[in-house]
Amino acid sequence: MAAGAASVASFNGLFSIPALAEETKRRGKKCILLWLCGAPSQFDTWDPKPGTATGGPFGAIATNLPGIQISSLMPRCATLMDKLAVIRSMSTKPNEHFQGIDALTRGDQPRPPFTRPILGSVVAQQLGQLDSPVPQFVLLDPCPEGNEFKAFKAGNWAGWLGAEYGPVRAGGDYGIPNIQQLDTISDGDHADREALRKFFSKKYENDYRSTAAASHNAAFDRVQGLMSCAPLFDLDSLPEADRERYGRGAFAQHALQARHLIENGSTFVMVANGMPWDNHVYQHEMHQMLVPELDNVMFQLVNDLDQRGMLDDTLVIAMGEFGRTPWLNDARGRDHYPTAWSLAMAGAGIRGGVVHGATDALGVEVIEGKVDNRNLFATIFQTLGIDPHEEYELPGLPTFHRVEDAAEPIREVLA
Amino acid sequence: MNEVKLQKVDDHRLPTAILGGSLAPDARSVVAACMDGIYTVDLDSGDYDQRYAHDSYASSAHWLADDVILSGGYDGRLEWFDLKNGKSLRQNQLHAFWSWETAIDPKAKHFASVTGQYLAGGYKYEPQGEREPSICVGSVETGEVFHRLPHIPSVQAVAFSPDGQFVAAGNLMGEVRVFEVSSGKLAATVKTPDFTSWGIIKSHCYLGGIFAMRFTPAGDELLLAGMGEMRDPMAGNGKQLWQKWKWDQGEPRLVDQIHDGEHGEGLMEALAIHPSGDFFAMGGRLRGGDWNVALFALDDGRRLTTLKTGYRVTTMHFTPDGSRLIVLGTQGQPKPEADGMIAPFGRAERYVLSGADG
Repeated sequence: MAAGAASVASFNGLFSIPALAEETKRRGKKCILLWLCGAPSQFDTWDPKPGTATGGPFGAIATNLPGIQISSLMPRCATLMDKLAVIRSMSTKPNEHFQGIDALTRGDQPRPPFTRPILGSVVAQQLGQLDSPVPQFVLLDPCPEGNEFKAFKAGNWAGWLGAEYGPVRAGGDYGIPNIQQLDTISDGDHADREALRKFFSKKYENDYRSTAAASHNAAFDRVQGLMSCAPLFDLDSLPEADRERYGRGAFAQHALQARHLIENGSTFVMVANGMPWDNHVYQHEMHQMLVPELDNVMFQLVNDLDQRGMLDDTLVIAMGEFGRTPWLNDARGRDHYPTAWSLAMAGAGIRGGVVHGATDALGVEVIEGKVDNRNLFATIFQTLGIDPHEEYELPGLPTFHRVEDAAEPIREVLA
Repeated sequence: MNEVKLQKVDDHRLPTAILGGSLAPDARSVVAACMDGIYTVDLDSGDYDQRYAHDSYASSAHWLADDVILSGGYDGRLEWFDLKNGKSLRQNQLHAFWSWETAIDPKAKHFASVTGQYLAGGYKYEPQGEREPSICVGSVETGEVFHRLPHIPSVQAVAFSPDGQFVAAGNLMGEVRVFEVSSGKLAATVKTPDFTSWGIIKSHCYLGGIFAMRFTPAGDELLLAGMGEMRDPMAGNGKQLWQKWKWDQGEPRLVDQIHDGEHGEGLMEALAIHPSGDFFAMGGRLRGGDWNVALFALDDGRRLTTLKTGYRVTTMHFTPDGSRLIVLGTQGQPKPEADGMIAPFGRAERYVLSGADG
């Protein structure tokens, strides 16, 4: 099994040595997952069917790729298609949120008792700088609820990798409390206290071979890191012009924050906002707001990364757990539809200007280039430089692979 | 008032969802604004014709004198169409975004159309300010727009007062602005938080607002319809809700609203006032409970009778003689057949009223 990348920075020195800090920011591939939980409509984003019975009210516009249209709600991305790879032929199995989220964030459906680590945990473990004070896997999600996503969030994200590879969560009311050193404690006193705590807890961990104590110590190490990088989590510290440019909604603000975290050493940032895309009712009323926000976020994020020279190393993915039905229900909504749906990616070795696969005239079935979650995860791992088919040799368990059944990556979108 | 009853006498299907419409002057036909265009429907035979199409869903349609249709659509366009010779008389691109709804004043002198796209304006998804004027008021005869009036998007419902002197527009946030038609001056603002939900369960955003609106026959009160607050706006399970507001004297005040124990759950998006002025109909979708159309007394608000249509009601009209209620709406869109065809899912029904005075 591949080992995690070696640490390049110590806790105290990371930001005090400019050259090292710069190297830290630039080193390795990274990923921002725009998690469109609830599942957006492919018709109102990447696979419009204008003038058809299933097309919806929004229409389609031309893009900078000849002959390719996307939803009229995405005028900015229409100018960015040469940098994006759009997959219009996702066809997956789970039809309910929890199972869909599981499959599209872990890469596969559950095989108990093996808990497959979530994508962010794998990337953080494989590519992260494990001794970095900056959290390697961050979840930005201001919504404390989220229906099935709430239940999912309460589960085991890191799987067999262990809690230290789980995400640090921030956003909205999820500020990270108590990470400011008290004024009444000097730096020396603070260091002494931590050394004493660490000595006793490490001794306990070793004496009793306690995984609980190990996780506890890992959490403390993380908090120590967080104390040094608290400003990274302060939205108000970001330039006002950038905040305005990204848009004022929570999702847009956290997408900007994701860029900021990636620039400063995080490896994987997942941006979510509860489960807003699950529009069984008010489909068009919600998508008229959500899609333009996504359009602008993708545009700003990809262009920012490009202009900063980071797009070659940073993968941006925008996807949900499935798509939405071609037909409208009587509540002015669209229901779950895993049979034929779309997503988009950019950067980190993904070939821009590619639209992979196709659906039929009404968007009911995939008619060309059908791929699933395994193909997608093979593509993601491949482009990030992680072996997609590596074996997991875990005591007492059958052999598992990072991506099962030797599923092939989607070659067309790999540069 | 005697006991009012409704008995269905006609049940017709159209190819796609009916989102709006109105009665012909002879009350035997309707013009229906559908997902795929404007239809006329003979209510006696059920025969229908697609007359023309908008570039997106048609959202409203009015049958003017001399068999001229005035329609609005999600393409932001108003169109005047002559049924006699089958020709478009005028097209007016009023809005960059949808025409959510249009209204015609009782003398068919003025039209009003409302628009507005809900876009994120704040961290908690407060609506962004308008990018274009949300309300357009103009001449039915010439198409000239003489007022472009401000509101907060999205503005989803519009109505004229019975004397045609005022136009009211209601939005996502439950704010109704009443303007004087002649001057364009703001005459009153009604604010009710009861129709709007801010998402807690699935996500943070606003949904709902006012989906239908009518002035009462005296013109001094406004009837509003929509759905009550929900923790999860996307569940669609808020209470079926109407409110009546006194708006024309001093600070607007809530006069009455749907009574406890008389509502189920679901979005209400259609209102019609009976020609007698004694009662009104409210209709929409049934999410929970046992009705989706009901008649209510205008004076004391009590529920008189109910219907369970089995489909979402989008528009209702009483015939001028008060003897019938026309109900338009849609079922869920069926899954395409193997040949790609989709079974009809627009619905047009006619009910006979009994027991109604007048």
